[in-house]
Amino acid sequence: MARIGVFVCHCGENIARTVDCAAVAGSVADHPSVVCSVDYKYMCSDPGQNLVKDAITEHGLDGVVVAACSPHMHLKTFRRAASNAGLNAYLVEMANIREQCAWIHPRTPETTVKATDLVRAMVEKVKQNVPLEPIRIPVTPTALVIGGGIAGIQAALDIAEAGRDVIIVEKEPSLGGHMSQLSETFPTLDCSQCILTPRMVDAYQHPRIKLYTYSEVEKLEGYIGNFEVTIRKKGRSVDIDTCTGCGACMEVCPSKKALDEFDMGLRTRTAVYTPFPQAVPNKPVIDREHCLHYKAEARAIARGKPVKAVCQKCAKACAADAISFDGGDELIKEKVGAVVVATGFQLYSVAKDQPEPYLEGYGEYGYGADPDIVDGLQFERLASASGPTGGKILCPSNGQAPKTIVFIQCTGSRDPAKGIEYCSGVCCMYTAKHAMLYQHSVHGGRAVVFYMDIRATGKGYDAFTRRAAEESGAEYVRGRVSAIYRADGKLVVKGVDTLGGEPMTVQADMVVLATAIRPQPGIKELAQKLSISYDQHGFLNEAHPKLRPVETNTAGIFLAGCSQAPRDIPDSVAMASATAAKVLALFSRSEMEREPQVAKVDQATCSGCFHCERACAYGAVEHLEVKDRRGNVLRVVAQINPGVCQGCGTCAANCPSKSIELDGFTDAQVFASIQALSL
Amino acid sequence: MFEPRIVAFVCNWCTYTGADLAGTSRLPMATNVRIVRLPCTGRIDPLFIVKAFERGADGVIVSGCHPGDCHYSEGNYHARRRFRLFKELMDFTGIDSDRVTFSWVSASQGQKWADVVNGTTERIRALGPFEGYPGSEEVA
Amino acid sequence: MNALRDLARQLLEAGEVKVVIGYEDSRRGVRPAFVSDPADVDRLIFDARCVHNLATYLNPRRGHVKRLGRAAVVVKGCDARAVAGLLREQQIAREDFVLIGVRCGGVFDTPDATGPLDAASIAPRCHGCTVREPSLPEHVVGDLPPEPPVGRDLDAEVARLMAMPAAERLAFWNRELAKCVRCYACRQVCPLCVCERCIVDKTQPRWIEPSAHTRGNLAWHLTRAQHLAGRCSGCSECERACPEGIPIHLLNHFLAGVVRDAFDHVVGDDPDAPAPVGAFRKDDAEEFIV
Repeated sequence: MARIGVFVCHCGENIARTVDCAAVAGSVADHPSVVCSVDYKYMCSDPGQNLVKDAITEHGLDGVVVAACSPHMHLKTFRRAASNAGLNAYLVEMANIREQCAWIHPRTPETTVKATDLVRAMVEKVKQNVPLEPIRIPVTPTALVIGGGIAGIQAALDIAEAGRDVIIVEKEPSLGGHMSQLSETFPTLDCSQCILTPRMVDAYQHPRIKLYTYSEVEKLEGYIGNFEVTIRKKGRSVDIDTCTGCGACMEVCPSKKALDEFDMGLRTRTAVYTPFPQAVPNKPVIDREHCLHYKAEARAIARGKPVKAVCQKCAKACAADAISFDGGDELIKEKVGAVVVATGFQLYSVAKDQPEPYLEGYGEYGYGADPDIVDGLQFERLASASGPTGGKILCPSNGQAPKTIVFIQCTGSRDPAKGIEYCSGVCCMYTAKHAMLYQHSVHGGRAVVFYMDIRATGKGYDAFTRRAAEESGAEYVRGRVSAIYRADGKLVVKGVDTLGGEPMTVQADMVVLATAIRPQPGIKELAQKLSISYDQHGFLNEAHPKLRPVETNTAGIFLAGCSQAPRDIPDSVAMASATAAKVLALFSRSEMEREPQVAKVDQATCSGCFHCERACAYGAVEHLEVKDRRGNVLRVVAQINPGVCQGCGTCAANCPSKSIELDGFTDAQVFASIQALSL
Repeated sequence: MFEPRIVAFVCNWCTYTGADLAGTSRLPMATNVRIVRLPCTGRIDPLFIVKAFERGADGVIVSGCHPGDCHYSEGNYHARRRFRLFKELMDFTGIDSDRVTFSWVSASQGQKWADVVNGTTERIRALGPFEGYPGSEEVA
Repeated sequence: MNALRDLARQLLEAGEVKVVIGYEDSRRGVRPAFVSDPADVDRLIFDARCVHNLATYLNPRRGHVKRLGRAAVVVKGCDARAVAGLLREQQIAREDFVLIGVRCGGVFDTPDATGPLDAASIAPRCHGCTVREPSLPEHVVGDLPPEPPVGRDLDAEVARLMAMPAAERLAFWNRELAKCVRCYACRQVCPLCVCERCIVDKTQPRWIEPSAHTRGNLAWHLTRAQHLAGRCSGCSECERACPEGIPIHLLNHFLAGVVRDAFDHVVGDDPDAPAPVGAFRKDDAEEFIV
């Protein structure tokens, strides 16, 4: 027989003004399962909580109902109080007679009747409550960071500095990401590499950070706190431990035609190469698509002929004997507890051939096919001291300094006709930066910026953009460009000045397109491997746009940087630190504790139809084979992983046989609540 | 005057919080509604509605987060399909589905909740007691 | 018919199956046949009286049939839809049974019918049939008979009910459902009723009154229809099995129309086609939600 204690709060005058609390307590006292029913002025106060605790001891209560404010306010308070008195916290419920009764109704008998009704419903519900313990799941306190750009590095350093191990997986041969390609960063115009390389080195040398460069995530299995990641370490052909970084291999390599990715195709490189002089690790890699030996090997294998060694001059030149043509990719497994996805971005290309069916190129700009029409990252390389022109801004076509550069903002961004409706956030700022860098480099050079709006919302950003116009003398023209074509040695840019109300044609030597930021290629495949969701552009989805911006709906997987949405360096760094905080919170205990409001399958009545699996947004439903003593599989039933289940109960409602119960809101509890209402 | 008896099945994160906000804002409401709190509209089985009518309810409210805002990301999408089917089924059997109000009320929509409560109460009052429900007169 | 018998004999003699589940004649019309001896295959027939949906014997809840061993089941195109449903819900594995499809020209509403197959005698399930040539089975026998006559149109019956005022419609269903004796024949015959423990048999708590009581009768039939929405293969065996002659398949047919119109889905015989159960679209209509 249940022994329920009922405590009706006056909440000062808040409830008592319209609800007759004594009468409520009196009515409910007659309920056969209620052994103690009192009213009191302030239940959440210390003496109020002691009333509950004393009653638990004195009356041997096995359930408590506090009729007061909303459970959102004080359910945790009373659960804690009960727990301190030795009653399981989950045997406590609250009846909301303040926000949902006293405060919305006048002082009439109906209001007190309603309050009594609500209390009785909770008494009947709590009779069906069972003691629950928070779910404890072990946690491997190692983080996997996918992406070694500024966001990934920041998150990794924050986590490592807090004393936890980190594994960084970076697909390029070096850390750094796109920030390493930038010449100077807004709004301070400091040298990008100067602020980045110390961080790259810190990450490389940190005792708690393990770095896999030239590597990608092959597979992720498991669940929060208990992941196993398989990493594909692509074959470098160079042993980075024995390699001394002397560079002799690069000097003798005869294959010199590969387009240099770091310099955005503005120059070529050898097949054995280090991406840039400040690379971390500063060790070369052999590009098998351009290496003479590997190309010959691929041809021989395709024709079924034996493989013969070709060239291999680099290996012969290597004094440390660090080059070997024998190895291939390696698959390595690591155990981690959390994953941070910091894969960064790629730029939208204006070319005719687009990687996605919904994207279009800019035919009106000649599909950007002229060598002097460049994008933002290419301009950064031209402006960069370590770039193909040694930091002098020169036209790629003829090596001359451009007398006029047209900068076009919003190329691709905010253009639904091209498939990208969003704003890329950083282009107004870097275009202003480019205009200023150009005018510092080419004195008297004319910079014309075609813009739609100027979005400069960060600290010091507005002053920065105005400096470009007011101090540097860049001409800001509000309007779009309808065509760019070559004529008489110049790039003719046809635009419009909407504020002046006239069309405007500029004869330019170079055009810089501020192209849209898109997620990395292959992001959808990676997201599917991680079971996280993405939007129509491939940007990864956060758990809640305002309140949970760095988590995903997959427990244990977090986001940082441009993988989630376009953002600049300060915001990427801030987000990465926020992500690190979430990861560290997860790692703060050897076992994570979760509210036990999770679903459970009654495996005896489950028919294995898996409607529940389809209903679950979190992938918490697993298949369990029910076997006989000889190991024969009798049936396959559903099983819910308590570590992953978020407690929504959609599975329970979708289950036709009601074989799933959601602890805290079981069928019995809901049924009892409905039955108890005086209808 | 006939006082309708109405049960509301609401989700914890949006509508229940919205109802709390209506309370904090002291918005006057009819006393006829009893709220049953659930984690998500995804948890709401049509049998809850059936049970409420069997017990003698004259009307039912089902309310949760707006699509796209579900705390559990997709529960309300499942609920939407489920209740579309059930509402049409009710109408097909001749049970007036006007006796059930389906609504999306967010945590910031205290006034909307008050309107749903008051509007439903008046509508059910006009429809009268739910006497046509088979077997409801035999409730213990 | 010979092709069917030859195939059955081959499958049994080769040991590929232990039993062929098909149709045979009897004193009271056609009934399901369970042939385990290759010498008995001549019992197997197929004609317009073969209305039964034999896919129900693949439902894993029929433990007594499972014990007969690996089966070959004779299915019409409509029956194959139910098999696809069982596959989709992982109740059976494709390699565990053989399907013998039969080309069909329509069936009578009862297995003991005599006389011609015409608009009055043809089963309502044949209306608008698009699967006279079944595609799921690995074997298909028989010649394709002529187009069936157009008979009882369930869409028209649904429309007629919906045209009535609600009170009249409620009165219709109250009258019909009052006849229900809760024999659960509808549930037992349905191939897609796969629940190990049906919801009506759940006692803790008891959502649906299981005995023949007006209150529970409505709850039972509403629940049955809701649970079959998007899954029902439209065979209407439930209605044929009902000893009281209640038009319960109209509930399923009605909801199939809602699933088609609102969710753009029709139950077909492709087991890999996704089901609308447990699915949604972000732009599902919500004009009924305030």
